[in-house]
Amino acid sequence: MSGTSTSSGGRPASEPVDWTVVLEVQQFLFSEARLLDACRYQEWLALLTDDVHYWMPVIENTLGRGAPHRFSPDRLAFFDDNLKSLRRRVDKLTNRTAWTENPPTRQCHVISNVEVEPAERGDELTAHSVFVHNRGMGERDEFTLVGRREDVLRRTEEGLRLAKRLVIIDQHVLLARNLNVFF
Amino acid sequence: MTSTLDPRSLIDADEGWIDRRIFSDPGLYELELERIFARCWLFLAHESQIPKTGDFVTAYMGRDHVIVVRKKDGGVAAFINSCSHRGNRICGASQGNARQFVCNYHGWAFGLEGELVGMPQKELYEATPGFDKSRMGLTRVAQIESYNGLIFATFDPEAPSLDDYLGDYRWYLDIVLDNDEGGTEFLDGCIKYDVACNWKLPAENFVGDSYHAQWTHNSAAMAIFGRGISPRKLENTFHATMNGHGWGFGLDMIGNAAASGHRIVTDYWRSRESAIAARLGKLRSKMVASSSSANLFPNFGFLPGHACFRVWQPMGPASMELRSWILVNRNMPAEVKDAYRQAAAFTFSPGGVFEMDDSENWENATRASTGVVTRRQRLYYGLGHNTREDHPDLPGRVYRNFFSDANQMAFYSRWADLMSAERWADVAEPSERDAAE
Ligand code: FES
Ligand SMILES: [Fe+2]
Repeated sequence: MSGTSTSSGGRPASEPVDWTVVLEVQQFLFSEARLLDACRYQEWLALLTDDVHYWMPVIENTLGRGAPHRFSPDRLAFFDDNLKSLRRRVDKLTNRTAWTENPPTRQCHVISNVEVEPAERGDELTAHSVFVHNRGMGERDEFTLVGRREDVLRRTEEGLRLAKRLVIIDQHVLLARNLNVFF
Repeated sequence: MTSTLDPRSLIDADEGWIDRRIFSDPGLYELELERIFARCWLFLAHESQIPKTGDFVTAYMGRDHVIVVRKKDGGVAAFINSCSHRGNRICGASQGNARQFVCNYHGWAFGLEGELVGMPQKELYEATPGFDKSRMGLTRVAQIESYNGLIFATFDPEAPSLDDYLGDYRWYLDIVLDNDEGGTEFLDGCIKYDVACNWKLPAENFVGDSYHAQWTHNSAAMAIFGRGISPRKLENTFHATMNGHGWGFGLDMIGNAAASGHRIVTDYWRSRESAIAARLGKLRSKMVASSSSANLFPNFGFLPGHACFRVWQPMGPASMELRSWILVNRNMPAEVKDAYRQAAAFTFSPGGVFEMDDSENWENATRASTGVVTRRQRLYYGLGHNTREDHPDLPGRVYRNFFSDANQMAFYSRWADLMSAERWADVAEPSERDAAE
């Protein structure tokens, strides 16, 4: 059971991408986060490719050395979504009887540590980032989750689109009653 | 802290009232740990999670933490995860494989059955009169048994056998545990999360609260089906209860499975219908993945068809850890298992489109029960008490129409019986209660 991260494993990327591309990716991630903060989920869906995979595995708590964040695609996950199920999630959250959203959930994504690498496909980039996600619900409920994301972004005619996202958190037992948000 | 409240006075099964203090009183919670959780059979693991010698998972039994291990002889042992030397926690992992368990504090080492096998400078202990290594093993559970793949244990040597504890509930359990000759397994992994609620709220929700689905889960149903959960033909829905366990169900065969959002899942169950009918009879084949929910007393709940099996782990009067697994037939095609794996995240998990609303309800109901005035209030649980019937084929106490409080009240009656009994021998026989009605 080990991580299936495809990245260069902490080493700086061998062929650094042009800094204008790094800025472009940052802008994409920042504005994507701003859409999520505003719960503008329909617009967020438009930033995803048709074959998107959005995955947030359960992080296991096991003995032994090696990579600390342990997960595997054949184990249970918090999110394991394609575009169809993400659309359904958005339909659910934006339905007027979505009780968790009334009063609305307030959230802020802090996106940092952005690194960009070339991906396997020529029209794709791998982007690493770190997020701090804060969520306020009702009068005084607050949940904070910190984690890493490993994204694959694809160049399309409409601009950059998210083709893959892996969300890796530090908690084994999720210390929150629900996840009515995206990271 | 000992509660001054008489548990029986809090549950009025005849008139259908429940005192809200059962959801918040710290003394009652402490008493629950002793009289419910240190006494009842509790779910620990599925056999498939620990196939090989030394495979282990950790689990809670009340606030005690246990290691559940596959022994060399193929059996399963469960013992307290706390060192017999100075009490340190021994195993910090949630699962794995071990040849022995060595305590980090002074290095005492324990075998796969919890026996003390050695320690640094063992000659010092060997020279100490009165020290008996054979008596210094980790405390084992009093009884451990499996039922069709599910491993349960109890700390009470006087507890009835697991078979007696389950009673007629086994007829119902076989619907999910024995509908295929290959038996069942858990998919790998467990989703765990914290819900700041009293553990009984999800237990009563699963034991029989079909009524909430059309309202709480309207947004999820709209997203999946494009329409709400319509009030269905209630005359073919039931509550069945025995020994505090309960099952609320329709006979629509695939109602729950359809809500997984995966066609391949409903197709699987449809293709199996006649084989299941041949194995379990026509009636049970209609329950295999139907609109239903269930709770095995005290804190093991599940949704047939959604395949999610969970423990409502009490961490305090207003604190719970929810642990959820997916149970599938071993012979299920890989694509169907995969669909269930995805559906676990999509439906009943913290991010699940259904459960994200349930956990809000349970937290808010718990929180709202702590005021002085709310503590004095009672809640009505009398719906459907007049619908009991003798059914020729369904075992247990059976009520028609699953929009009902019948199973919930039976759950709380069992709770009160156990809470007010000093020992198992004093626990009222559920059959006596049945006859009295
Ligand atoms: S407390 Fe475990 S070895 Fe001392
Ligand atoms: Fe529910």
